[in-house]
Amino acid sequence: MKAIALHSYKGGTGKTSISANLAALYADRGFSVCLLDYDFRAPSIQILFKTKIRNTLNDFLEEKCEITDTLHDVSDKYKVRGRLHVGFASPSIDSMREMMTKDRRWEMKALHRTLSAKNKIHDEVKADFLIFDTSPGVSYSSINALASSDFVVLVTKMDEFDMAGTRELVHGIYDSLGRKTGLLLNRIPMEQFPLGAGQKELEEYMAKIFNLPFLGIIPCYCDIQMNGGKSLFALEQPKHPFSQALSEVIERIEHHLKTV
Amino acid sequence: MRAVAMTKEGNSTETVRLLQQLNKNIEILSTKLDRIIKIQELLTDKLSPKEKPSYEGLPLDVATLLSLPDHLRKTALALSELGEATATDISRKTGRVRAAESDYLNQLVSKGYVAKKRKGHDVYFYIEAQ
Repeated sequence: MKAIALHSYKGGTGKTSISANLAALYADRGFSVCLLDYDFRAPSIQILFKTKIRNTLNDFLEEKCEITDTLHDVSDKYKVRGRLHVGFASPSIDSMREMMTKDRRWEMKALHRTLSAKNKIHDEVKADFLIFDTSPGVSYSSINALASSDFVVLVTKMDEFDMAGTRELVHGIYDSLGRKTGLLLNRIPMEQFPLGAGQKELEEYMAKIFNLPFLGIIPCYCDIQMNGGKSLFALEQPKHPFSQALSEVIERIEHHLKTV
Repeated sequence: MRAVAMTKEGNSTETVRLLQQLNKNIEILSTKLDRIIKIQELLTDKLSPKEKPSYEGLPLDVATLLSLPDHLRKTALALSELGEATATDISRKTGRVRAAESDYLNQLVSKGYVAKKRKGHDVYFYIEAQ
């Protein structure tokens, strides 16, 4: 099993949408996939899957249940060829507030539980892929997920704020944790989107300044924005350029995972 | 008799003079030592500023992990996953030799991040809050 974390420096890069659609595409390729919402500050995956939540990942970290008790099997609902399990963070404000008050000793235990969860998901769910959606920036839950992953997909937009912070993340967090990382440019305005040879040039330029392998470049599609988390777009419209771009991202991740 | 008494008096005057000279030398030496200590303190402060945060003794969370040197971080991360382990268990996880892991684990113990206990012939390392 390989664990992949999606992370970004700033919010609004499209991490949640990409992680949910990546998980769905992997599952539709016949793999067994677990998607965990580790964005405890602003959980949103539950909006996309519209499933009645039993146990949350907050319950798991609080030692109230096992990681397997938090997994919701949505394979039949989305008619994927493999299996798709989703673990949700609690969307209640009380839970979000509670997570903000945790001390370092609690966070140490949360790291241990997250690392152990990975083994349990491998042994009991027989998952091929574990995908973490994380909160942006440097938060305990995000770094716990990064430390538990084999590969990090770093999602960034093409603005100066995002890119400057992203460089800091690479040097300060990913390099220190020794996690292999790939860069994904997302939500690129159509006016800035390079065509033909320009795309290759941009890829090479980005790979050089971040010193990271490049996973892809996805334009900002109005229909994705209009969809606004109502459904799993890549499954609904597999021929859409967004879905095609994500399929290419999967190919590139696969290539890099072979060396992890 | 008078000559002997004079000689004794002369000797004792010379002894007092020598002691006074010795005392003076010690005072000079002491002043010089104080200056050396002061310079050493200044140099130590410059080389490792006091404002540099010390993580020693804090819980082994991700913030602490990120502050550790690479070789100790790898060991600490493996122990965070296993919860409790021998140097051999950690060595299997990290792919490094057991002796090196044993050394790294003991460094983590001395920094106060990790505790250890003996079970039969084996020494188990663990993170205290677990």
